[in-house]
Parts: sequence; structure tokens; C-alpha cells
Amino acid sequence: MPKVRKPDLVVIGAGPAGLGAALAAHEAGLRDVMLIERDVELGGILPQCIHDGFGSMVFEETLTGPQYAQRFIDRVERTDIEVKLNTMVLDLRPDRSLTAVNSRDGILEIKPRAVVLAMGCRERTRHQILIPGYRPAGVICAGAAQRDINIEGLMPGRRVVILGSGDIGLIMARRFTLEGAEVEGVYEIMDHPGGLTRNLVQCLHDYDIPLHLSHTVTFIHGRKRVEAVTVSRVDENLKPLPGTERLVPCDTLVLSVGLIPENELSRRAGVALDPVTGGPVVDERMETSVEGIFACGNVMNVFDLVDYVTHTAEMAGRAAAEYVLQGRRRGKVTLRVRPGRNVRFVVPQLLRGDGEGAFFYFRVRRPERAVRARLVTGGVPLAGKKARMVRPPEMVRLKADPEMLAEAVSRGDLGVEVVPEVEGAEGHG
Amino acid sequence: MKAGRKTRPRGKLDPRLPTSARAVVVGAGIIGCAIAREITRYLPDVVVLDKENDVACGASKANNAEVHSGIGEDAGTLKQKLNVRGNRMYDEFVAGLGVDFRRQGLLIVVTPRSVPPEVAEKMGPEELDELLRVKIPEGIVAYGKAAGIEGLRILNREEVLAREPNVTPEAVSGVFDPHYGLVCPYKLTIALAEHAVINGARVILNTEVTGIRVEDGEVRGVITNRGEIATGLVINAAGVFADEVAEMAGAGGFRIHPRKGATLLFDRQVTSEYVRSSVALFRMPGMKKERSKGGGAMPTVEGNLQLGPTAVEVEDKYDTSISAEEIEEIFERFHYLLPNFPKEAVISAFSGVRAPTYEEDFVIEASERVRGFVNVAGIQSPGLASAPAIVEMVMGFLHELGIPREPRPDFDPIRPTTPRFAELDDRERDSLIRKDPRWGNIVCRCEYVTEAEVLAAIHSLVPATDMDGVKRRTRTGMGRCQGGFCGHRVAAILARELGIPVTEVTKSGGGSPLYLGENKEFLQPGRSGHA
Repeated sequence: MPKVRKPDLVVIGAGPAGLGAALAAHEAGLRDVMLIERDVELGGILPQCIHDGFGSMVFEETLTGPQYAQRFIDRVERTDIEVKLNTMVLDLRPDRSLTAVNSRDGILEIKPRAVVLAMGCRERTRHQILIPGYRPAGVICAGAAQRDINIEGLMPGRRVVILGSGDIGLIMARRFTLEGAEVEGVYEIMDHPGGLTRNLVQCLHDYDIPLHLSHTVTFIHGRKRVEAVTVSRVDENLKPLPGTERLVPCDTLVLSVGLIPENELSRRAGVALDPVTGGPVVDERMETSVEGIFACGNVMNVFDLVDYVTHTAEMAGRAAAEYVLQGRRRGKVTLRVRPGRNVRFVVPQLLRGDGEGAFFYFRVRRPERAVRARLVTGGVPLAGKKARMVRPPEMVRLKADPEMLAEAVSRGDLGVEVVPEVEGAEGHG
Repeated sequence: MKAGRKTRPRGKLDPRLPTSARAVVVGAGIIGCAIAREITRYLPDVVVLDKENDVACGASKANNAEVHSGIGEDAGTLKQKLNVRGNRMYDEFVAGLGVDFRRQGLLIVVTPRSVPPEVAEKMGPEELDELLRVKIPEGIVAYGKAAGIEGLRILNREEVLAREPNVTPEAVSGVFDPHYGLVCPYKLTIALAEHAVINGARVILNTEVTGIRVEDGEVRGVITNRGEIATGLVINAAGVFADEVAEMAGAGGFRIHPRKGATLLFDRQVTSEYVRSSVALFRMPGMKKERSKGGGAMPTVEGNLQLGPTAVEVEDKYDTSISAEEIEEIFERFHYLLPNFPKEAVISAFSGVRAPTYEEDFVIEASERVRGFVNVAGIQSPGLASAPAIVEMVMGFLHELGIPREPRPDFDPIRPTTPRFAELDDRERDSLIRKDPRWGNIVCRCEYVTEAEVLAAIHSLVPATDMDGVKRRTRTGMGRCQGGFCGHRVAAILARELGIPVTEVTKSGGGSPLYLGENKEFLQPGRSGHA
């Protein structure tokens, strides 16, 4: 077997997160950067996202997924970043050494000085939500269906029912329709939609596709290929209500029922994971619990916007470069960021307070109108912004400058909370 | 060569229906394939027929993979006798097949819920404790001894929890049965079929038996939807359809009433070692809700936790659905036995249909009415465990009916296997890739399956012709993403190797296409689209 390769940095995954991290690290002065991608091309999921709406923050214009990816791919191609396509990382160990494989090199033993985890996420399947019924062909996750249509040019369905109103589900409702399939409806178990408002309007409303809230699929019919699904209304505990069943003939059930960060390698490396986000616990520099291993993008939590993925990736790439070039010893964790009122989780979860500013990303627990999202320390607001409406699918980002973080560190507390705008200054329980 | 569309040979299977054979086995499940393999030890001229497009398409692909010891069977039944014997024969049965078999053992857990409440209420606390701690375990051991199962060990509470830390702390005592084993039932069936083919058997799929020709009280042939095979020996191993096949010959007299069983399967990265052995809650006789084996928690050969199966009587022999009630029942049942089992790590659920008779025992007999017709029916759990002993019993009849008793000198005891990338060390992996780069192309990222393995499955002796066939042979799509990432890759390889358009690739044979057309194909002017 070949001798061990020792690059400065290995970035695992070349979607928007990996591309952004590798470029940022390279620009920060790292010269020996290896970008490993298991698929046949760079860009991750973006090449199949042919709709627009990408990049309004990063590029201040809206691009399609392939366009967004191409801007990074072009930049990577102008560097000496070593790109390994069709290459699968098989193992990652706590000492940051890793084993990868491809057809040309065989088994690759790599011992980089730093690692960025950028493996992205995968789709939740029908069995993870335990839909009863048969197991015929024609039950497909929305992202896989998107790939079939947009990359392979193949139609996985003709009469389609969509379960889940996450963004990919909504976008696929429109995509199937444009390609001549018939979308009977989108069913959502929650009493509020799972996707961005703009997608509800542009993908469902504009095409007269009904959205059935508080409904779920309770049986999949068809032994060989889907023949129908039973849909039922659910109660406030999300339990199907007997007597509300309706048989919907269809040949395809498309699932958009959630994304799961892909952290199998993180686990192997002993990286601590957050049970709420499903991704690594990171500090404000995107460093995980294992020194020299950083994380960014959807591997740490599933973002709603690719722009945020890029932002975290650039932070992780810069921090990894600094780690390698300056041999920086990280400070102790001083704070665990506290999710407060109507906040489900916050990333980064940890604050070391090494003297720089940071961005905090969070999701709310429930929709709420006329609110203020804010950072607080010991009950005192540090920074915040107004929002006409917050909804669980839409992440909120708050910026903290170094002085604010210094204050939080000195008070020993940093919380993120959402409060009604009118009584924004008051305390609450 | 004739003009016209060129079709590629699909593996080495002979798709033509032979005109005659010394013996015909109806049904390519575990039992049919095991019998066929055994016959080839004595003569090569045996045919296995199945109406499905692959072997192991019935209960053989959807059971809990357990090789029971016989401890769960009723005393004095044929089932118990064959189960105890079959278990002992297993190492020899799988030798040379290249199929993993290991004995993980069974832990029978005794808790206060092992006794019906109405019985417990009548007892004083000391008496109940004595029952749970001493009398029940001793009773189990004695019951095993009477059935010929030696080596059962009584464990106290601490030993139970030390062996299986995830078991309920309400455990009072337990019995460990070291004989229980695990084997992948469809891989074993495929291996047996291939081993039979190596030794001369022909496995003919997509062929439905529609009649048995009987003249003068003797079997003369098997009639199928594709023609007739002349034969003097028919072995009916048709699973849930065994009663119908027996009736065709006039050799029936039993009825199969289908009973399905659902099992939940968990991500092995989360659940490997969650239970080390099979674990079952002991219930006093009469408490069992299920008629088939009670089910339990057990690992698979690969290390996934599985919970189940349920037992639900159904009308339809094809009913492999899973109901919401069954899912709830499994969750409830195992919430007690394994209070912390990782509900969120379910990656798959499957259901199989058992083939019991109303007598609930195996029906293994050479028909007295029709000479040359052998029934191997009513085979439900522990059919997998009993298979070697069932085969032995059937061979007794077949020798009487003319299969030679002398083994062939040219019988090949070894079935060659394809290595599994996931199981190799890095040096072995590297050297395979040097020889054939397709060993370095990972198709399924969850289970680390390479293109080379997929190709081997498609070009094997009993070839995979659809997605599920590739999946059963290689584990593509069996991981946590359930084929979300690798599905299109496997479909493309199947299309390429079979020489068909990808729109003709199926999940599980005819009527189960993955794709219904190409983009724009369904567009109609003036309808939807707004474009």
C-alpha cells in the first residue's frame, strides 16, 4: 500500500460547505489542502437544485443551485487544492488520521494536520417515520426524486402524492407538475407548513396544488408498485384520527419528511454530537470536541439557506488554517450558549471567547408574529433584531461582536431568545 | 445468428424449461433449495421451480434469521424433534456455502410479568419470588432436557443484567440457551441454490406450477405456465401455496392459513451490541398471545437490532403489509423488555407470511395416494432452524422413491463466494483494487458495497435481475439511507449489464418499475404545467 499522505488539511465532502471551507483555508494561506468527494462531481446536492433562490446573501443576487456551485468550483479550479472525486472516506480516527478509497489510488492513508467535516445530510426515509403498509416501488424521498428528474432525466412518478411540506417537497411538487406529472396534493402532519413561505407561494399556490395541514399518510397500498395511499387527519398529538381516512389513488409517494446530518464519520472520530441538531457540538470557530476537527454546513445542523452553509464553511476553513499555521492552542470552553424562550437550538453551542465576534444561528420552536430575536447575558439584551414573523423552518442569525461576547464571558452567561416585540424589554419565564 | 434484438445472457441460468428431470422441487425458498442441494449429492438431474423472479421471495426473505434450539416448541411435536436435531446439524449444513453462521445464544428473561396477574395475586410475595427465581428457570431447564437440549444455564438477576445490560431491571432470573444461532435466511437460500446449480441442478424462475400430472397413482410430470416437465418425483416445498400444489396432485388434506409477522430493524451503527444474544421474555404457558414463536429482540448477523415478529392471521397469502397496530404492539412489547431501546434508529420494517397448517405442525410425508409426491408443508418458524433435519427426513423418502443412496464422487462441496469489501482489511481491499478498479468504486455508501460486488451479484449462478435481488446479495440500500443515494447507481448498473433501458429496471420483478418514463413524456398540451 502507498505511504501515508500528510496534507495540511483534509475537507471531507465537496458540496457548498466543503467547497467554501477548502477555499477559505487556501485563501488563509494553507497550501496543501485536499478536498475529498464521494460523488462523481463537485457541488454536492446543488447541481440537482435547478430552481433559483440561492446566494441572495453571499452574492447579493439569486442564482440556481448549479450556478451557485459553479462560482465556487471555478475558484477551486484556479487553486492547487487537490480534488479527489469518486473517493469515499471509510474511516476517520480521533487522531485525525483517515482512510479513503477510490478506483485509481486504491486505499489511501491520510494523516492531515486538520480536518473539516462537510458531509452534509441525508433524507429521512419512510421507515424512520414508520408509515404502515406495503413496500412497493414508487416510495421515494424528495431529494432522490429531484436527482432522477434533474440529473438523470427520468420520471420516478406520474400520479404523485407528497408527504411533508419541507422545501424539497414543495419544490418537487412544482417540478413534477412542470414535467407533466400530476401532483394530487401535499400532506403535512404539523398544523403549519414545513417550508419557506416563498416556496409555498411559488411552488404550490401558483400551480393550484392543495396543501393539507394536519394530515399524514397512514397506509401505502400496492404490492409491486404504489397503487394508492390512505391519508388521515391527525389530532393535536399528531395521532391519526379514526374515521378521517381517505384513499388517494397514485403511483408514487414522495417523502419530504426531514433531513439528518450525516455524522457516521464524526462518530468514528469520537466527535461529540448534539442530540437536538444531530450534528457536532461546535464552538464559535466551528471546532468540534476533537481538537483540529472542524465542522460546517449541514453536517452540523440542517440549514435552510445555502448562504449560511457558506458562512459557516468559511469560518471553519479560516479557523482550520489558523490552527495549522499558527499552531493555535484553543482556549477553554467558557460558556454553553443557552437556548431561551421559543428557541429550539442554537449553533454554535459553545463559546470560548477567544476575542473574536461570532454568528449564532437558531431555530424557533413555534411560529410567532411580531417578535424580537436577541442575545442576552444575565437577563440583559446584547444584540437583537425585529422580525415580523418567525417560523420553525426559517433559521434566524444573530451577529455578536467581540465586546458583546466579552461581556457575556464576564457575566458567565449567553442566551438566545425570542420575545414579543411589544414587551421586548420585559422579563419572562 | 438470428436477426432481431440481441439479448444478453442473464447469468448462467438456463432460462429454457427442461423437458424432463429425475426430480422437480416446487418452491425456491430455503426448504426447496436445501432439498435440491441435497439431491445433487446423489444425482445432478434436479429442477427447482418458482413463480417469482428470484429465490427466497417468500417467508425465506422475511424472517428473523434465528436458528432456534427447540426450547420454544411443544413437547412431542415433529417440529420440536426436527428443530432440536436441525440445530445440531447446522454447522455442517452451512459448511462450504460461504454463509456466516454464529451461535449468539438466547437469553430467556423471567420477570414478574412472566406470570399472569391472576396467578400472581393468589401467591404470597415469597412464594412468587420462589416461582420466578427458582421454579420457572428450573422448569425451563427440565423442559429442555426432556427435549434433548442440554447445556441450558440458569442465571440470577445480576448475571442476566451483566450479560444483557439493556434488559429491564425488573428481571428476576433467566435461562441462557447457548444453541441459538443466526444466519441470513435469504443469503443461505441463495447459497444453497447456487451450490445446487454448481452440482448440476437447474433453478428455473418466473415459472408457475399450474398442475401435477398423475397417472395410475404415480407422478408423471409437472405442468407449468411455460410447458411441462416429465418427472417421477415432485417435492412440494411451495410455502404458503403448498396446500394448493398438493391439491393439484390430489395429495392434499391440509390447509395453509397465512399468518404474517412484522419485524422492525435498526441502524447497526447505533444498535450493534445493543443485545449480544437473542432476548425473549418468558411467559407462562397460556399467556402467549402469538401462535407462532413469540419473537424477541435479537441482532442480525450484521449487527442490526431487530424486534419482532408479530403474528397476525390474514386472508391474503401475499399480505406482506405492516399495520399501525403491529408497529405499536412491537414498541409496547419491547418498551418493557428493553426500556431504552433506540426508537429513533429504526431503518427498516419488513413483514413475512408464515405458512402454518391448522394443526400447527410440519407436514412432511411421502404421499400414500400419489407415489412420487412428497409434501414438505406447514413449514413456519422454526423452519429455518429445522431445515437440515427436514432435508434429512425428506431424503429418507426420496431414497425409498429411487434417488440413489450412494453419493456422487464428483459432488463439489464448495460454493465459491465473492469477497465483501466491507469485511476485508485495507491490505486486502487495496490488492483487489489493483487487480480490478471496480473494487474501489463504492456504490452503496452506507454498507460499503462496491461496483465489483454488484456485478458479481448480477452475473452469479442464480443472478440478481432487479434492485431487491442485488440488495439481498450485496446489501446495497440496506443501510440507513435505504437506497436514497445508491438507488440510481444500482439501477444504472443493472440496466447496463442486463442490456435494458433503465426504465425497465424493477424493484422486485414485473410490475415494479422504478421509473415510469422520461422527462416531459407525460406533458399534454393544454394541461397543467402553466409553462
